[in-house]
Amino acid sequence: MLQSFFEWMQGLPFSAWMLEETWASPIIQCAHLVALVGFAGAVLVVDMRLLGRGLIKTPLNQLARELDRWMIWSFVALFVTGAPQVLSTALKQYYSPFFWWKMQIIVIGLLFNFTIRRRVAFAKEGTLGHWPKVVGFLSIGIWTSVSVYARLIGLLS
Amino acid sequence: MRSLFEWVDALPSSIALRESLNAYPTMLTIHVVSMCLFAGLIAYWDMRLIGFTLKKVPVSNIPTRLFPWALTGYGINLITGALLLYSQPMRYYGNFYFWAKMALMLVAGINMFWFHYATYKSVQAWDQGREIPLNARLAGVVSLVLWAAVVVTGRMMAYSGLMPGWWNNLNIGA
Repeated sequence: MLQSFFEWMQGLPFSAWMLEETWASPIIQCAHLVALVGFAGAVLVVDMRLLGRGLIKTPLNQLARELDRWMIWSFVALFVTGAPQVLSTALKQYYSPFFWWKMQIIVIGLLFNFTIRRRVAFAKEGTLGHWPKVVGFLSIGIWTSVSVYARLIGLLS
Repeated sequence: MRSLFEWVDALPSSIALRESLNAYPTMLTIHVVSMCLFAGLIAYWDMRLIGFTLKKVPVSNIPTRLFPWALTGYGINLITGALLLYSQPMRYYGNFYFWAKMALMLVAGINMFWFHYATYKSVQAWDQGREIPLNARLAGVVSLVLWAAVVVTGRMMAYSGLMPGWWNNLNIGA
């Protein structure tokens, strides 16, 4: 069932246009990379603060609240620029294990962010013991894995 | 310059790196991850200068608290970038986007040093809660645009068939 869905995506006129239009893929890939930088920065500044590094003079919840919208909008930009790439190379993605690992970790990352990480980052500081450090470490690990698998789709698939 | 690139290209260690199955994916992946560390933090520094975000964070906090991490990312990025160039120098020699990226990095570096040694000296006067001087905001805009362009030209290096016509006419890579 999933395979036929990916075959359908690959057969869309938009996918054909993406592949035929010389500049479409490069422009979208460049925009995806710029969005990645925006996302990584927003995540890292808060995660480093969770680890007790970086901007330690600024209250954690203030930093997390301010960067939350940058993280969300960067992720939206990543999705908007990532989806056309999946559509135009749907079968390549389907047969790549890295694509599936990336998608699974993105889902884990989103669930982790909107439940545990957000709760810990928005909480009153000093009330959660070592949990902020654990959460910061896991968050960095999750999103680093996503970028590693994303890069490997293009290189090893 | 070309003979230097050709000389490196023929070195046994360059050939070994080029022919290794795992070296290129490993180096490129580390290059991208370290770019996230460096460019991600620098982007939010630039946006703080422009006044887009982190307005309650004193400006002087960012260089002292975030730059060591950003510079670590930059160092890893430079090393992996140098290794990628070392492994395939002739691939990059004729690539317009490679030279554009190098030029943009040079200009971004000059902008950074100019800001640090000129505008930033008066940071105590506009550290927090006060309007950031125009020079500092301009330096932030220039830095943000330049580093974004570095990321874009870096990605475009993979598209050797999409180089400007005038560059192709120079026959540099031939």
